[in-house]
This record gives sequence, C-alpha cells and structure tokens, in this order.
Amino acid sequence: MRGAPSPPPRLRPLNEPRAVQVRTDGRGVPVAVRLDGRARSVETVRETWRIDDEWWRAPISRLYHDVVLEDGHFLILYHDLVRKRWFLQG
Amino acid sequence: MSETRSRYVPPTGGLPSTAFPGPASRSSPSRTPSGRASRHALCLWLPTLELRLELVRTPELDATSVALLSTGGGTRRTLWQVSERAHQAGVRPGQLVSQAVSLCPSLTLLEPDPAHYDAAEEAMLEVLGDLTPVVEPAGRGRVFLGMDGLGRLYGSPPNQARRALRALFRVFPAPLVAATRGGWAPGKFGAWVAAAEARPGEPVVVGSDEELLPFLARCPASALPVEESTLQRLERLGITTLGELARLPEAALVEQFGEEGRNALGWATGRRIDPVRPWHRPRPIRVSLDFPVPVAQNGPLHSTLDRLLERALSRPARRGRSVAGVRLGARLEGGGSWTVDHVLREATARPEPIAFALRSRMELYPPPRAVDSLFLELVQFGPATTQTTLFDRKEGATREDGGSDLAEGHVAPSLRDAVRELKLRIGHSPLYRVVEVDPWSRIPERRHALLTFDP
Repeated sequence: MRGAPSPPPRLRPLNEPRAVQVRTDGRGVPVAVRLDGRARSVETVRETWRIDDEWWRAPISRLYHDVVLEDGHFLILYHDLVRKRWFLQG
Repeated sequence: MSETRSRYVPPTGGLPSTAFPGPASRSSPSRTPSGRASRHALCLWLPTLELRLELVRTPELDATSVALLSTGGGTRRTLWQVSERAHQAGVRPGQLVSQAVSLCPSLTLLEPDPAHYDAAEEAMLEVLGDLTPVVEPAGRGRVFLGMDGLGRLYGSPPNQARRALRALFRVFPAPLVAATRGGWAPGKFGAWVAAAEARPGEPVVVGSDEELLPFLARCPASALPVEESTLQRLERLGITTLGELARLPEAALVEQFGEEGRNALGWATGRRIDPVRPWHRPRPIRVSLDFPVPVAQNGPLHSTLDRLLERALSRPARRGRSVAGVRLGARLEGGGSWTVDHVLREATARPEPIAFALRSRMELYPPPRAVDSLFLELVQFGPATTQTTLFDRKEGATREDGGSDLAEGHVAPSLRDAVRELKLRIGHSPLYRVVEVDPWSRIPERRHALLTFDP
C-alpha cells in the first residue's frame, strides 16, 4: 500500500539562477549560450552591470549581461566572479 | 524631386532596433566580427521615398508642385518633403505651410500616410531578405545588405548591386526603382557614401579596401557622421574633403575633437569598417477594430484602445514576453493614416501603463481627422515578467474579477473551492503566491519567494 506523496515545502525560492554553458569573446562578453542542448548565438548585449555584496560573509560578485539571442529571445546571464561559472537568471 | 541629403548614422551600442544595431567594430581583414555580420555592404537608398510613393498613387500630380506635410498635428504644420517643381519655386522642407503657399500658390499639400509607407518598406525588406540573410534597415528608404560570400551566387560586386536593384521590381513600380541609388563597399560608411555619390539606377562599386581610401579621399567631409559643430569647425579649418582629413595626425584630431576626431579619422581613412548586422525584428502583434461611422471624440477612441490592448495582450504569441514598444494607428476618414509610436520606460505586461502612455500620446498628437478604424501593434518585447501582483496581498492584483479582494485578504469563493478540490485530488494545494522576502536586495533571487497558497 503506497503512502500519499509528501507535500512540497511551503516556501520555495523564486528566480533561482541556473548554471549554463556560455561562450565568450576575448573581452569576456557572451557570444553564445547553450540552452536545451542547443547552442544559441547572442545577437546583442543590451546592458551590463555588476553587483558585489556580502563581502563580510560569503562574498557575492556577479557580472550581469542582459542579452538578446539570435531568435529574438531575451535572457539575463551572469558570470559568477567568485565561482567562475555562468548562470542564467531570467 | 528635391532630395534631402540624409546623413550616415553610425551604429549605437547594444540595442536591437530599426536603427543601426550592434556596436561599432574595428576592421578585421580575415573574418567578420561575429558569425552573422557582413563586412562588405551594399547600400540601397531611395530618397524621399514617402513622397514618391504618394506620386505613384496619384500619378497626375507627378509634374506639379507637391509637398508632403509632416506627421503630427498642430495648427502650424510644416513641410516634410517637396517635389522638384516645388523646390524650384523656393519651397523647402521644414517651412511652414503658410510660407510655402506664399512662395508657390499652386502648391498641392498631401497628408502623410505612414501606415502605407511602413507597408512598402516591409515589402522591400522582405524581398531583399531573399537575396541575403543580412539585411539592416537604416530609416525608411535606406537599407544595408550584407554581401559577404555572395560572389558565387550573384557574381561580381557590380552584378550583385544590379541584382539587388532588379529585385525591387517585385515590390516597386519602375519609376521608384529607377530613382534608387546603390553603393557597394567594405563597411557601411563606404557603402553609404558610394550610394550618395551614385546616379539613380547606376550603382557605384568600391570593390576592395585598396580602392576605398582613394574613393573616400575625394568625398566631402560633410559626409562624416559627426556633430554639426564639428563639421563647421572642420570647414573653418579649411578641411573640406575626407582626403584632407586623412592626412592629419590622429593625436591632433583627438586633441581638438576628442573621440569624435578619432572616429572621423577612422572613417576617412577606411580603417573603421562598420559591418552590416542582420536586423531581427520580432513579428509584431497587431489587432484592429473598424468603426461603423468615423469617430472623432476621445472617449470612444480611448475605450476602443482599452479593448484592443486587452485583445493584444491576451494573444498566445505574446505569452512569455512583456511589451517594450507599441504603435497605435488609425485609418482616417477620406484616406490617409495616422500613427504614434511609444517605447515604454519599463517593459510590462500590464495594460494600465501602456494605455496611459498611448492616451498621453494621443493628447499630444491627436489624429488630424475622424477615424475609420483603429489598430494597435505590439512591436517591441522584453523578458517575461514576474507577476508579483497576482496573489500578493500587499499590492493590488491586476485580475479584474476579485483582484482587489485578494489584496485585502479576501479570497473569492471560486478560488477557495478550486483549492479545496485540488487538495482532495492530490493531497495538498499546488498553488503558490509570490511574497516579498527582501524586495530591496541586490541579489535577485532573495527578493521574492513562493509561498503555498492555501486559504
């Protein structure tokens, strides 16, 4: 006899970043991102900004890029400067 | 036909738009700066396209003095484009109507029809897109085509230019095609200058980088896409051609004119090559409504706008995207059209800010006559929005039925019943609402969270 599935947690995170593979040019600007197993070119980088926070704890240092892909989709990517990895967030 | 000499506008950084998308790039002899951009450019330019389209529609006006009025309302209308005969009579673009009529009493004034001009431009871009995937419009009547790698298909650069001109016969009548100028060169600036120097129907080809410098040398310095004040200073210094500018040391130009001086030198010497970048415009979402009788009052127009917005935002094609730019237009009583464009400061999927912005535009630039039909286009899009107001009890929700009740903590019976049924079926409520955790946090994932919705 199978028990009822346990309910999901009451509080869940929102807009969690997801690790992705990103190819960059010589200046570190993203030129392609791998999504759903497929590489998609970045057509334009609309905006770039950096956040640095919580230096007193576990430092957070991210360089964000608001990009438009070749198919017209919008993405927000960031390069985690501490962990040296790329993430997709929005 | 009197032609206003358009100036080349260099690329602006980073924004996909109908202007020049993409950042400027230095010359790269071995490959294009990105996989999709094209180093070699063909510029097709049809001056005063709008007036020419009107004359195609009304051929009997062709040999007369005609002027196209500028868009926008107001009591002091000015002229936008003028025919050759009107120009000979002293009529110029930018003049007030009263001035122009005093100079040329037989002047025929035409109301602009931007919807018609946009449709013609769309048709032109579509047909040119069959020649090359790299098409970059640069204002109505001017387009850059990327020609890299097309030699095998269309032959030499002169053949490529002629092929592009012949393609225009599919959408334009012969007089319009005959008036088109073409220029082929490395980089957009070279192609534009070549097109501006060309005679209608006889494209100018600058086949290689080696030919570019001597070609540019004899072109006027006024072709540079720099500030008017810079051009005036160059003229006072006796620099009238790009060749004279190219002989100046870079350090001296930078000292006098800053970064603009460096850019100007790059263009004048052919060292700065702006590639043609493909233009990606998302397909607009268009909705329209015809009136049984022409409407001139604001009240019915505003309520029609609200209905159109609701329809446009509920289209499946819009899902997953917010709206960043809109166009509102109308077919006018007696012919012609009227349009206003608006780019939102912040992309949104809510109708209220879009409606407010468009109503304000209508107040500033009202339709000049009664309206036969109204249309709305969602033309620019942004990332998907986080609908934080949907279930948030602190802010007012946007849903029409019971939205304000949710904000005050009162849950509609239908929603309560739905949650109860889901709990019976699966054992728990699968609905969540967005709650603020640390809305001012610089870390995006810390601002909001999902909390189980179980009223």
